[in-house]
Amino acid sequence: MKKIWAWGALIFGLLYFTLPLIGMTNFSLKMRRGEYSFDAYGKVFSDPRFQETFTYSIMQALFTIAFGVLLVVPTAYWVRLKLPRLRPYIEFITLLPLVIPAIVIVFGYIRLYNTSSWLPLTGSIAGTNVLLMFGYAILALPYMYRAVDTGLRTIDIATLTEAAQSLGAGWATILGRIILPNVLVAVLSGAFLTFAIVIGEFTMAALLNRPAFGPYMQLLGANRAYEPAALAVIAFGITWGCLGLIQLVSRFQKSAPPKA
Amino acid sequence: MSFLTLTNIQKSFGPVQVVHGFDMAIEKGEFVSFLGPSGCGKTTVLRMIAGFETPSSGSIVINGKDQGTLKPNQRNIGMVFQAYALFPNMNVHDNVAFGLKVAGAPKAETDTRVKQMLSLIKLEHLADRFPYQLSGGQQQRVALARALAVKPQVLLLDEPLSALDAKIRVSLREEIRQIQQQLGITTVFVTHDQEEALSISDRIVVMNGGRADQIGTPFEIYNTPATRFVASFVGTLNIIEAKVADPATGAVAIGNQQVSLKEQIAGMKGGDPISLALRPEAGSIADSAKGDTALTGEVVSTSFLGSVIRTKLRIGGDVISFDMFNDPGLTPPTFGDNVTLRFAAKDLLVIRE
Repeated sequence: MKKIWAWGALIFGLLYFTLPLIGMTNFSLKMRRGEYSFDAYGKVFSDPRFQETFTYSIMQALFTIAFGVLLVVPTAYWVRLKLPRLRPYIEFITLLPLVIPAIVIVFGYIRLYNTSSWLPLTGSIAGTNVLLMFGYAILALPYMYRAVDTGLRTIDIATLTEAAQSLGAGWATILGRIILPNVLVAVLSGAFLTFAIVIGEFTMAALLNRPAFGPYMQLLGANRAYEPAALAVIAFGITWGCLGLIQLVSRFQKSAPPKA
Repeated sequence: MSFLTLTNIQKSFGPVQVVHGFDMAIEKGEFVSFLGPSGCGKTTVLRMIAGFETPSSGSIVINGKDQGTLKPNQRNIGMVFQAYALFPNMNVHDNVAFGLKVAGAPKAETDTRVKQMLSLIKLEHLADRFPYQLSGGQQQRVALARALAVKPQVLLLDEPLSALDAKIRVSLREEIRQIQQQLGITTVFVTHDQEEALSISDRIVVMNGGRADQIGTPFEIYNTPATRFVASFVGTLNIIEAKVADPATGAVAIGNQQVSLKEQIAGMKGGDPISLALRPEAGSIADSAKGDTALTGEVVSTSFLGSVIRTKLRIGGDVISFDMFNDPGLTPPTFGDNVTLRFAAKDLLVIRE
């Protein structure tokens, strides 16, 4: 009897999750009257604004990942190695982006970095791009920090650091050749999550008026019928692709499998 | 002048002082073991030599150079850790080559040196393996090769055998000693295993409560322990509580029996309590046993340990153990037997605090 309930709950959950997706995918394929086609996808891919916004968001994602890795890996490493008492506070700080809405952050940015401020980042396109990248890094911080911190927990960083030091290595060598390669899988997990967040983010890009993929999706959704559904399927595909890559890279870890 | 000199080293963590006035001079090529229980400060002293801890006061001089201001990566000290500490992302070859690459050695020279080191530890065939594909003993040998590859001026071994099983421990400690003698490298070895320290060291420092209780050769440490702690920590030792009967003749009373130490007991008077120590292997109950001193006691238990038979005797208020070599013709005493234990008076040591 218990099994029937369990199976029932599972099937209900799967239907609840997949039916809208199936419906949306089905709708996205019905642009041509009376038959299934990829016309909506073709239109989306051939739209120059899609290419422009998608490329922009990919570039933003890559810079955000690079900045996030440079910020988070040394910080998480140093906190674990030298400042373990500060860990709860650092964790709290990294969780703040989950409770502070993006709109609050971006209005804060606009107030702080407007053209009449001491650092007028919004006064130029490059400056605004940098500001948006910082914003994305903040939004991705909880995921990146947790992923890296979990990765650091799996290795004995104190002993590895001392072993490397006794062999003549300085901090840059230790971070670059010992710590980073050993948490690479964790860093990649954080990177793919960051990528998914940046590709779909709307609020910051829209309010900073940058040509990102999120505002493009919103714009298309307000004016077209089939293309937004196709775009949503594409966005889902990108996110799932990222999750699949996280699973894939975790298989390439060159260390002992965790003990049961 | 000694190669490695530690002078009046003190170390405190907050209000807790863990090392008190530690002095030591180690000659070039010497193998010195720091022996003591957990928390005695032996690893802290080792870590101060490596540069991972800074002494609260005192100086560390290696080959005439004060190490005080040098960072760990500037000291050219090889270190082997209890937890192996091989880099998981590198194979055996790259682990051993790491220090050489950091030093900027040319690739050909690095490869030659790595081959030499792997040949030294007899693991040339495992150069492409990753650490997780090696056994504990193999990992520790690679860690040793990695530490030696950079030709360090001092090799530090921090309980390198503790995580290994008993058989590997014995074979690897012999291998470490052989390699150390072959290379003539000054080595400091930290252990809490007295057998390990006794078997491979030129000298042993027995540490207790952050102090060096005794520094000496294994022979000296075992046979003439300077303090009660050294006597009890190194080897198995019977402590017998007695009373001075006549300090001039060295006579002492153990329960209602009297024996003579055959030498004057300085600084004591008749009736003073005195602690005596006797190694289990120093006595025998065989009729043919030689010895100028004898004590009679009642057998409390007899344990068969393979090569030896350990018997416990109640003498006075103490229970003391003694060992006999196993012999098929031997009839071990049984519970309740009254036997006479014979030994040489010189083996009965007076223990000072």
